[in-house]
Amino acid sequence: MSIAWLLERMAGWQEQPAMVWRDQPTTYGDLLLRVEEWKGELDRYGMKEGQVVAIDGDYSPNSVAVLLALIDRGAIVVPLTQAAAAHREEFLEIAQVEEVIALDENDQHVINRRPVVADHPFIQQLRQLGDPGLVLFSSGSTGKSKAALHNFARLLEKFKVPRNKMVTLTFLLLDHIGGLNTLFYTLSNGGTVVSVRSRDPDVVCRAIERHRVELLPTSPTFLNLLLISEAYKRHDLSSLKRITYGTEVMPESTLLRIHEVFPDVQLQQTYGLSELGILRSKSRDNRSLWVKIGGEGFQIKVVDGILWVKAESAMLGYLNAPSPFDEEGWMNTGDMVEVDGEYVRILGRQSEIINVGGQKVYPAEVESVLLQMENVRDAVVLGEKNPITGNIVTARVNLKEPEDPRAFKQRMHAFCRERLAAYKIPVKVEILTQEQYNARYKRMRRADALESRE
Amino acid sequence: MTYSSEVPIERAGIIELITTSAQDVLQMRDGAGEQLPVLGEETRLIGQGAILDSLGLVSLIVEVEQRLSDELGINLILADERAMSQKRSPFRSIGALADYICDLIAEQGAHA
Repeated sequence: MSIAWLLERMAGWQEQPAMVWRDQPTTYGDLLLRVEEWKGELDRYGMKEGQVVAIDGDYSPNSVAVLLALIDRGAIVVPLTQAAAAHREEFLEIAQVEEVIALDENDQHVINRRPVVADHPFIQQLRQLGDPGLVLFSSGSTGKSKAALHNFARLLEKFKVPRNKMVTLTFLLLDHIGGLNTLFYTLSNGGTVVSVRSRDPDVVCRAIERHRVELLPTSPTFLNLLLISEAYKRHDLSSLKRITYGTEVMPESTLLRIHEVFPDVQLQQTYGLSELGILRSKSRDNRSLWVKIGGEGFQIKVVDGILWVKAESAMLGYLNAPSPFDEEGWMNTGDMVEVDGEYVRILGRQSEIINVGGQKVYPAEVESVLLQMENVRDAVVLGEKNPITGNIVTARVNLKEPEDPRAFKQRMHAFCRERLAAYKIPVKVEILTQEQYNARYKRMRRADALESRE
Repeated sequence: MTYSSEVPIERAGIIELITTSAQDVLQMRDGAGEQLPVLGEETRLIGQGAILDSLGLVSLIVEVEQRLSDELGINLILADERAMSQKRSPFRSIGALADYICDLIAEQGAHA
């Protein structure tokens, strides 16, 4: 089957730890045994090739084992996690899920059959090929989730190339293209995935110390929290070799501070999309937001400042939306970029750019400045409609200590005036007490984001 | 509506609120070192001789809305299509803006 190569490779590392769950290691040998057990369980349950099966749970020995067993069986896998709990029913519906394998806190499972027959043309296409599938949900700028169906075998193809063996913390979740990428990268190179119960900076730092984690794939929002919490001072993080960041634009100020705190750690930007998979990337240096992206199987081009990608491993299509690909297979990523030779710099989502009287404001640039202010813990910048200038720049700020809003606004103006053009300075400032990132540690910039928090 | 008719809102009070807001905005935008113009009812907010550019005007309107809400418990949207489609712009001077605000408050009161 399509992952025979991976299972064979894993068999070569019997005694080595494949994962750490609840601080306990699971060796490759143990994991493979569990995969065999799951194959038996799926047989007993009468689960057939090509069925649409949801795995509801975070990283654990069983969730990974059942994932591998399902891929081996040619099932169409729909990973679901707590982060998407609010959309669970909607996602089950859209993906035409036939079976749900739910794993609880203690890694015990329950299987539920849904009265559904999956008959989407793309699903039938995969069944005819006898290939496994993967459904990933992307949040989409309009807020409506889109379900991307991948040929899982093709998505895994790139992991056949041997790369570094690393102890990696699984920060991103199993239902995220980045989380799956981490898992398969690690397993196909004999590394160890270390899972954590929560993404709290102290919990993450403790796991890094205890399990000598080398690679931390994460998001800029988390790195900002790490800096503010100063959790890195309370733990020995000397095992860290590389921190990767993606899923949202990195504020330059956060990157520079992370580099100061971790001068010997390689800082590497990643780029990927639910629809296309993760591209190979290389940051110009540890302090740079310029990044080379592409690699084998990917082509990129920039049209009118927007990044387009063509991928060999692209999804078959959305289950619930029209194809985003043009006739030649290119996809508009919706990300605005600057270009410098082979490098690009990601400026932000086209849909989030704020047009103030005809001039463009990129939220990340303003956020980067606000995050440098004293007493600012987090900042999200977004546009609000205004009949005079079209839009105004609004800042939603979390403070470390309470401060008079008017005094803060004055101080913010004085600070920004030296660092930003006048039209980029937030006109409206809201001081918030609730956090502004979602369960995936990604800042939310939609005007209604706070109401629709996952 | 949060406006309560028990507290009469006087035009003079609104003028003062706008003037204070304008001073704040001018100070924020130009820095504390600048000499601030003397502000009054006749002070022009847009067009020739205006004390603010369009960005400044937007800031002023946001500031006034904020103060009306914070200090008087009145929630108004001042910059909308209605304001823009008035024959004479309510943003032409501090006095005109105060009149417009008083009109909106009276309307809210009537519907309360």
